[in-house]
Amino acid sequence: MLFSEGLAMLGDGIGHLMTLSNLFTIAWATLLGIIIGMLPGLTATMGVALLVTLTYNMPGDQAILSLICMYVGAIYGGSRSAILLNIPGTPASAATSLDGHPLAKKGLAGYAMGLATTSSAIGTVVGIFCLALLAPMLSELAFDFGSYEFFWLAAFGVVICGKLTSPTDALKGYISGILGLLVAMIGMESLQAYQRFTFDMPELSGGVGIIPAMVGAFGFAEILTVMRNRKDSQVITSKDRVIPRFVDVWRYRRTIFRSGIIGTLVGIIPGVGEDIGSWASYAAARRASKEKEKFGDGSYEGLTAAETGNSAVIPGAMIPVLTLAIPGSTSAAVLIAAMFIHDIQPGPTLMIQNPSFLYQVIAMLLFTTLAITAYGLSMSKLLIKVLSIPREKLMPIVYILCVVGPFAITQRMFDVYVMIFFGIAGFILRELKFPMAPIVLGIILGTLLDTNLRRGLMLSGGDPAPFFTRPISMVLCAVTFLAILLSIPLFRKMVASLFASIGLSRAPVKTADKPSQL
Amino acid sequence: MKNNSRLIVSDLFIGAVFLALGLIVFYSAWNMPRLETRGVPGYAIPGLVPMILGACLALCGFLLSLRSIRSGDLAAHFRSLEIPALFRSNEMRRLLTMLALALFYTLGMVGRLPFWIATALFTFAVIFIFEYFISDKQHGLARCVTLAAVEGVLVGIAITWIFQDGFLVRLP
Repeated sequence: MLFSEGLAMLGDGIGHLMTLSNLFTIAWATLLGIIIGMLPGLTATMGVALLVTLTYNMPGDQAILSLICMYVGAIYGGSRSAILLNIPGTPASAATSLDGHPLAKKGLAGYAMGLATTSSAIGTVVGIFCLALLAPMLSELAFDFGSYEFFWLAAFGVVICGKLTSPTDALKGYISGILGLLVAMIGMESLQAYQRFTFDMPELSGGVGIIPAMVGAFGFAEILTVMRNRKDSQVITSKDRVIPRFVDVWRYRRTIFRSGIIGTLVGIIPGVGEDIGSWASYAAARRASKEKEKFGDGSYEGLTAAETGNSAVIPGAMIPVLTLAIPGSTSAAVLIAAMFIHDIQPGPTLMIQNPSFLYQVIAMLLFTTLAITAYGLSMSKLLIKVLSIPREKLMPIVYILCVVGPFAITQRMFDVYVMIFFGIAGFILRELKFPMAPIVLGIILGTLLDTNLRRGLMLSGGDPAPFFTRPISMVLCAVTFLAILLSIPLFRKMVASLFASIGLSRAPVKTADKPSQL
Repeated sequence: MKNNSRLIVSDLFIGAVFLALGLIVFYSAWNMPRLETRGVPGYAIPGLVPMILGACLALCGFLLSLRSIRSGDLAAHFRSLEIPALFRSNEMRRLLTMLALALFYTLGMVGRLPFWIATALFTFAVIFIFEYFISDKQHGLARCVTLAAVEGVLVGIAITWIFQDGFLVRLP
C-alpha cells in the first residue's frame, strides 16, 4: 500500500469520526473510562468487557469507538489513584505510583497528574505511529502464514504470555495458559463437528463465551478482592499547577521515545499487556538515567517512563489484533470478541476486505488521545472527587452490571452462571498467584491452536515435519521452546555458566519489585 | 513467612488438583470417538489436542506439587498457617458475606422477583451490612437503614431504566 493511500484513508477515518454522535461517544466513553480506571478495583478489562454488553445494539464502528475510548481512558485513569492514593487504579499504573505518589506527598500532585497526562498522550501517539507503520507490513507477512505458522503462533502466544505475566513463577503462568486452552476445548470443534466436554448441556455446545468468562474473571473476582480488603488510604488533594512545563517534557524526550517504543513492542507480544509495558519502560529508563537516585522518590523521568510505556501498549496491542486476530492484551481480547459480535473480521484478510478499518482505528486512538489530554489537563481537580466514592456503594452496582452484562448478549441465565463460576475460580487462582492474562489468551487462542494443529497434520498426511522446517514455523517453534527451557532453573544455570565461561556475563541489574499478578 | 507458607501448602494441594484434572481430561479425551467410520485419520481425531493439554496440565500439576514438597518442612508450614484463625478473620468475614449476598441475588432473586426490586434489595443489603455490621467505623442504625434503603431504591430504578430504556437491553 502506498504512503499516500494510507494518508488518504487516515483522512477518511478522521472525517468519519467528525459527526456529532461520534464526538459525543468519544466524550462520554473516555470520561467513563477515566473514572473506571481511577477507581481501585475497576480495571480496563472489566470496563471494556462490561461496555461490550451495553454497545450490543449500536452500529459496529460506534461500538468499537466507545470500547477503544474506554480502554485508553481507563489505562490513563489508573494513574490518578496511583498518584493520589498510592493504589494503582489498574495494574498498568503500578509503576506510576513509585514516583507519582512521592511527588504528591511533596505537594506536587497536580503537576504529577499533568505530567502523567502528557506522557500518556505522547505514549499513545508513539504507539499510533508504530501501528500505522507496522500493521500493513505485518498484515502482508501474515498472508504467508498457513496452519503450521498459526499453530505455533498460538502456542508461542500462550507460552510467552505465561512466562512474562508470571516472571517469578513461570510454571503458574503455563498452568494458567493450559487452563485457558482447555476451556476453549469445550463445545463443538470445527473440523469434525464433534461436541467435546459438553456433559450433555446444550448451552455448552457453542463453547464458553469469552465475555461472561472475562466479566467473571476480571469483574466478580475483583469485587470479591476489593470487598475483602480493608478500607483504602487517604486521598492527597492537589493545589499546585497541573499543566506541565514544556522544558520538563522536552528534557525527557529520549525517555519518552524509548518508553513509547518499548511499550509498543510489549503490546505486540500476545496477551502481555500494559503493566509489563510500564514496568519494562520504567526499568529501562532507570538503567539509562543520569538521575537514578531520584527513581522511587518522586522522579519526573520515572513517572514519564511508566505512563508513556503503559499507554503505548494500547496501539501496540492493536497491531496483532488487526493483523492476526490475536490479542496483545486482555482488554484487546475483549475488543476482538466485540469485533466478531459486530461482524468485523480482524486478521490477515482485514487489509483486503476492509482496509479503511485500520485507519479508522488509528483515528479513534488519535481522538481519544485528544480527549484524555483535554480531560486530564482541565478536570484534574474535579475528577479527584470520584475517589471519595465508598466501595460499599460502588461494588454492588458493579456486581449488578456483571450480572446484566453477560445476560444482555444472549439472554440466557446460563451465561450469568458462567460469569459466577469464572469469578470464583478467578478469585481463587489469583489468591494462589496464578496470572489471569494467559487464561484469557488461552480461551481466545485455543480454537486456533487445535484447528491448525490437526489441519496442518491432515495437509501433510500426518507428517509433523512442516511444523519444524518451514522458516516462520521454525523461528516460532525455537522461541517457544527456548522460553520454556529458560523457565527451568537447571537450564538457566547452564546458560549462565556458558555465558560466564565465554566472558559475556554481567552484573545483574536491580529492577523494581513487580507483582506477578495481572 | 506466613504468606510463603500459605503458598507452599496451597501449591501442594492445587498441584494435586491439576494433576488429577489433567489425568481426567486425558482419559476423557482418550475415550472420545475416533470417527474411523467417517475416514478421520488418527492425527485429526477430536481428542488429540485435549489429550496433549491434559497431559501437559498433569505434568505441570505434578511439578508444582513436587516443588512444594521439596521446598522444606511441610509440616512446619502447615502449623504456621493457623487455619482456624484465618477463617475467623475480618477479611474472611467480609469475603464470605459478599460472596453469599452475590450468590443469593443471582441464584435466588434475579428471575424470581421483578429486576428492579431484586436489585434494590441487593444494593440495600450490601450497603447496610457493610456499613453497619462489618464496618471499621460506627454508624447509627436509623441513618444506615435509611441511607441504604434510599440508595437501594435509586440504584434499582436507575439501572433498570438505563439498561431497559437507554441501551434497549433485555433484563433477566
